[in-house]
Amino acid sequence: MAKPSDTHIRIGVMSSFTAEPLTPHLRKYFKEKNLGEAQILFAPFNQIHQTCYAINSAFAEIPDILIILWRLEDLIDQSHTTEIAEKTIDDLLSAFSYLREHFKGSIIINQATQPWLLDRDLASIDQQSIITKDNKNLQQFANQKIGEINQILSLDIDSLMMKIGIDKAHDNRKWYLYRQPWSEAFWAVIGRQIGRLITAQKRSSKKCIVLDADNTLWGGVIGEDGLGGIAIGNDFPGNAYRDFQKRLLSLQQKGILLAMASKNNPEDVFEVFDKHDAMILKRDHFVGFEIHWQFKAVSIQNIAKKLNIGIDSIVFIDDNPKEIAEVQSLHPEVTCILVPEEIISLPGIFDGSDLFDTLKITNEDRHRTDLIRSEDIRKHAEVSMTAEEFLLFLKLEVNVFKAEEKHLGRITQLINKTNQFNLTTIRRTHDEVKILSQSPGILLLGMTLKDRFGDYGLVGVAILHLQKDMAKLDTFLMSCRALGRGAEEEFLKQVIKLSSSSAIVGQYNPTSKNQLAKDFLISQGFIYDETHNTWTLSVF
Amino acid sequence: MSDALVILFGEILEMDEKDIHDDLSPKNTSQWDSLTSMHLVAAIETTFDIHLSTKEILKMTNISMVRQVLKEKNVTI
Repeated sequence: MAKPSDTHIRIGVMSSFTAEPLTPHLRKYFKEKNLGEAQILFAPFNQIHQTCYAINSAFAEIPDILIILWRLEDLIDQSHTTEIAEKTIDDLLSAFSYLREHFKGSIIINQATQPWLLDRDLASIDQQSIITKDNKNLQQFANQKIGEINQILSLDIDSLMMKIGIDKAHDNRKWYLYRQPWSEAFWAVIGRQIGRLITAQKRSSKKCIVLDADNTLWGGVIGEDGLGGIAIGNDFPGNAYRDFQKRLLSLQQKGILLAMASKNNPEDVFEVFDKHDAMILKRDHFVGFEIHWQFKAVSIQNIAKKLNIGIDSIVFIDDNPKEIAEVQSLHPEVTCILVPEEIISLPGIFDGSDLFDTLKITNEDRHRTDLIRSEDIRKHAEVSMTAEEFLLFLKLEVNVFKAEEKHLGRITQLINKTNQFNLTTIRRTHDEVKILSQSPGILLLGMTLKDRFGDYGLVGVAILHLQKDMAKLDTFLMSCRALGRGAEEEFLKQVIKLSSSSAIVGQYNPTSKNQLAKDFLISQGFIYDETHNTWTLSVF
Repeated sequence: MSDALVILFGEILEMDEKDIHDDLSPKNTSQWDSLTSMHLVAAIETTFDIHLSTKEILKMTNISMVRQVLKEKNVTI
């Protein structure tokens, strides 16, 4: 079963060409990210089909993760007719599907790539050669079929190659000497990308970007230059700031929260949001504004507190090196980014970065800003009422249910992201969760929460191992944005009911962030057993 | 004495540096197969910041030939 950190991970690679140069680059990524040792095993050269059908015996030990690297040109000869070529692709894809059904771990497969042709330069100047056109069709054919296989991670080699350049990515010496097509530089790119795909499944990524205003979201200083004097729009340098705002907006739509820490008069900053038509970002895209003249380190602390997120999940962007240095010294766990001197680099500042890597965008992510904004309304309501009055007023609706296939994406995300109200902090991949959901004796529960201000969606997960007369609480967690309304108690009550057990036995794995979960156990009357290091609640 | 080349071969062939001598070749060293050759070429190119032609790569049939190729390319080891 998954442990919080992988100390040893086995990765199996099968490929239609020599792929051994992947090893040092992939291991380097694991080392950099403190993910422990990666053991990388290779299937026999160019035997993808056979390996897929005999996965349990193909490697010395069964890998945790499989990587398949393949190229059309290794499988299909230019003399092949379209029918033969499509048949070859069909056979390969059947092998992939078979593998997906019979292998439990994650599988990474590259998208079909544009073949590297000897006659590339022979293509006539004003139209594609027939070979190129045929290959494009085949590539499309293969990619459509790959898209139909559920639950594989795909590696887009063409896009990576486009970025470094097709000539720079190849090394013909190695192709002719060793049947190994790519340059060291390109293997470095591939290794890093595969590393990111593997780790994005398990790591909690950054949750919030805290932005400065002047010379970060626009050029110039609003308090001095005025609404007409700041640079934001279609001309240089305003176009660079505008593109940066577009990138921020797309991150916001992916579920990353935006907040502001600016030393300014609030009315000046809001005037830009409200009156400048070139602004891509609007007030509503932000979950918090800290606009005053106090330390930005304090602003960031306030934002983290308000959002109920760890300070290490914040990225701070500012054009002033002093501000960056101050924040960095007080909060070393914040990722600080200085706005580049060369402003055209600003829009691409996150390119190739793994700060915001997550694999699936869920509906809850897209709506997170809306939820947090209605949270503000909730907090205002809270001030004027007693706690009991507030809870009644909230009209909480907690619903706990057996998780179905469609919930697994969100459940996996919660399992890997939730830090505070999380009893055991056991992280799991989507595949591991899926297996659990189908295992007898295991109860995988989800919890949704609603109140009068809005729908939180799926915010709680419980995993129970049902044993004779008692249920072991393997996982019990709730998203922090749902905390503090009494929903925790109701969640536990319904979990106990669904388990139909007379005792619940929990384990508490302390981390630097989950004291909350232990306090909850105590408040609910769980009794600590020192010899077994367990917490037990008897149900009458 | 271990120079940069000996260290490099020791790491890639996973051999003790004192067992690395100039006569070492794929013929007398089981771990030096074609895959290892490929890794060696990559490591030599990165370590000494050079680019080897296929002719030069094929010429490197033992360590003393590697030294000779590097010498011809004015590399100091």
